[in-house]
Amino acid sequence: MKNIRRNPDVVWREEEDAREEVIGAMERGEDASCEGTVLLIVSGMMHQLNILGAEIWKLLDGRDESAVVDEIAKAFEMDRPTIESDVHNFLTDLADRGWILYEQ
Amino acid sequence: MSNKSRIPSAPITINWTLNFSCNFSCKHCYSRVEKMAELSTEQIKEIMRKVAVYKVPFINYGGGEPLLRKDLFELTEYATSLGYNVSMNTNAFLMNEENARKAKEAGFKTVGISIDSTKPEVHDKFRNTPGSHKRAIEAAKFLREQGVRLTVSSVICRINYQEFDLLVEQAKSMGAEQISLHNYKCTGMGMTNKDELDLSPEEWCDFYMKAIELRAKETGIRISMDDPITASIHKAPEQTIVKGSTCGKLSLNIRANGDVTPCGFIPVVIGNLLVDDLKDLWDGSKVLERMRNKEPKEKCKTCKHYEDCLGGCSARAYAMTGDFNSPDPHCWVEAKK
Repeated sequence: MKNIRRNPDVVWREEEDAREEVIGAMERGEDASCEGTVLLIVSGMMHQLNILGAEIWKLLDGRDESAVVDEIAKAFEMDRPTIESDVHNFLTDLADRGWILYEQ
Repeated sequence: MSNKSRIPSAPITINWTLNFSCNFSCKHCYSRVEKMAELSTEQIKEIMRKVAVYKVPFINYGGGEPLLRKDLFELTEYATSLGYNVSMNTNAFLMNEENARKAKEAGFKTVGISIDSTKPEVHDKFRNTPGSHKRAIEAAKFLREQGVRLTVSSVICRINYQEFDLLVEQAKSMGAEQISLHNYKCTGMGMTNKDELDLSPEEWCDFYMKAIELRAKETGIRISMDDPITASIHKAPEQTIVKGSTCGKLSLNIRANGDVTPCGFIPVVIGNLLVDDLKDLWDGSKVLERMRNKEPKEKCKTCKHYEDCLGGCSARAYAMTGDFNSPDPHCWVEAKK
């Protein structure tokens, strides 16, 4: 598997207050999947990642997809096939947008 | 992805007027009438450090003319070392080969050149400086030769609204990645010359209809139009995380003496970063609270677009009426009978 890095042209910031609120909501069993916890600014346009996307995004520092799945599996109570599918689909979307780079 | 609207924890962009001094005297300038002491190099660096704590990703220098500050490149190098992405808006008259090289070395992510017409004589008259169009075009070449990413800013007004498509072509030929078609603001000289330069609401509607159509099919350059009143003719893109004016929601403005205002066109001081903490102002300012929670007035009360435009540009409303909640004077939507 190829190692993956965030495109350095993508400027981003974790919204720590929002992240704490989302984690609190999840602990109470509430749906917080629409809440953004990471802001991305790309070519002047702004985007948000929800908690799952944000945690994946933060891991894209040069590790490969399976290593990302391992870390997400530790953090989220989801079955592994679902995590593998979610991570793969998300990374495919990011790659299509040019926001991540696969190292050769 | 997420699409929920929320005020971020701190500004995304600090628009920073390092100096109000300028080598031009443009007909529309918001800041030409401003006079105040400028911060020292060390005071500016101190504010940069204080703001960096909150991970503000972008600083954009406006003015005044930033290139008149002798410490501009030193400040930019320092800001870059703190993690900021630094850009500036310049009339480019002083952007010679040497300064273009310094801009690259200091770490400018982009440089924005102001240019308001494709006709040199029209641009030079508007900017009150002979030869300024030629110098702006040359500056673009110097910057591109250094590999500095380029944007172009044009203030849309009576001299150019019918030839904005030519401005787009000119920006492409200069090597710009983006052209920002700024709406005319009635602040400073912009208020003095409003009758001569501003458009009627119907003319603004006509301009935006055509500009949005061009933006949809243009592939050679990004066309930016940051004007909330376009919500009545164009649904905002999904990635818009706040509605209405972005001032005080995504950005703040620092003036030459460290005073903070919601934007450069709203002369309401909410604090000073030599003594105040950015986060305290961002979370606690009553002025920002009012701007983030506007109440519809007059024709906005019954307008179906209000939930998307939130009354349009707060700066224009404030300049004309002294009330953020007043309808944007550029708005063309008729009051519902």
